[in-house]
Amino acid sequence: MTAMAGKGIIVIPVFNEAENIAGVIGEIRAEGLGLDIVVVDDGSSDRTRQVLCELPVQALSHPINLGYGVAVQTGMLHAVRRGYDFLVLMDGDGQHVPGEIPKLLAGLEEGADIVIGSRILSGSESYTIPPLRRAAIRFFSFLAKALGGVDIRDVTSGFQAMRRDVFSFLAREYPVDFPDAEVVVMLGLKKFTVAEVPTQFRRRERGISMYSSLGTVLYYPFKSFLASVIVLLRLFRERREG
Amino acid sequence: MSFQAKTMITVLLLANAVLVVDLLRTRRLTESYTLLWLFVIACTTGATWADGFLRHLAWFFGAAVPLSALTLLGLAFILVMLIFFSMKISKLTKELKDLAQEVALRIPPSPSGDSRE
Repeated sequence: MTAMAGKGIIVIPVFNEAENIAGVIGEIRAEGLGLDIVVVDDGSSDRTRQVLCELPVQALSHPINLGYGVAVQTGMLHAVRRGYDFLVLMDGDGQHVPGEIPKLLAGLEEGADIVIGSRILSGSESYTIPPLRRAAIRFFSFLAKALGGVDIRDVTSGFQAMRRDVFSFLAREYPVDFPDAEVVVMLGLKKFTVAEVPTQFRRRERGISMYSSLGTVLYYPFKSFLASVIVLLRLFRERREG
Repeated sequence: MSFQAKTMITVLLLANAVLVVDLLRTRRLTESYTLLWLFVIACTTGATWADGFLRHLAWFFGAAVPLSALTLLGLAFILVMLIFFSMKISKLTKELKDLAQEVALRIPPSPSGDSRE
């Protein structure tokens, strides 16, 4: 059981993770964290939906594929409507280690509004991040600091824990795809406390990563940069309009 | 502009009008967009045959010949239409996303509802 007070839920967005999801759920349950689990299937075309029916989790299914960010947002909306107090976000591909969740929750207990599990921070145990990806992470971490005032080393990590205030806010406005730097910038500008803790990450063993295609590699940096700047412009406008 | 050029442009525009009407007939285009395109085709056909208007347009744009002015006008219109349709697609994408999320959230979570360990 976690020491965190209140009702908590683990949100796992999945797309074509039939091979991985049962293992991930089994690992989470073995930790005995006492948290509910909701898996959001983003219109998978493989057996993910059937696999989920056989697992002891709440399963939500998008009728069509809408993108990673939308699946996360659906999970957040579910958590808001069901009255959860805190939320843990993790991937369904086995890269995030459920045994590290207490570390994230400890960060919330210490007063942070959102805690990000880092692959880069000293004390992290991660697979070797490819140089291009590492450079992108550095650039976006710099951007998050410059635009949002948030000093986080691994802004692209999807392993996070957050309080209700944060996921209620993000449930209203969340990027459709690659919700990385711009979310951190957005949270920084809205004066949420963002913390980072070193965590263990594993390499994906089966299935295909959403960052693997050439199109994604080319689209991702430009999209994230543009979106981060737009977040800033929107806030200026909001402040000007009172 | 020569009579041959005017005729060619008119024939192309008429072919476009036939295509648009056929798209409406086969339910691949709605009445509102069909009317929009027919209005554009009518305006362009009118401009093609209005020598005085085209000369003024060429003078206004600083174009050497009236045909260039017409081309420039067409390009500007296409640009405006592309932005309009990009906005329309963005709006529809957001509506589709909201709708799909609502469907996912309204169907009761399967199978047990309570997954607490």
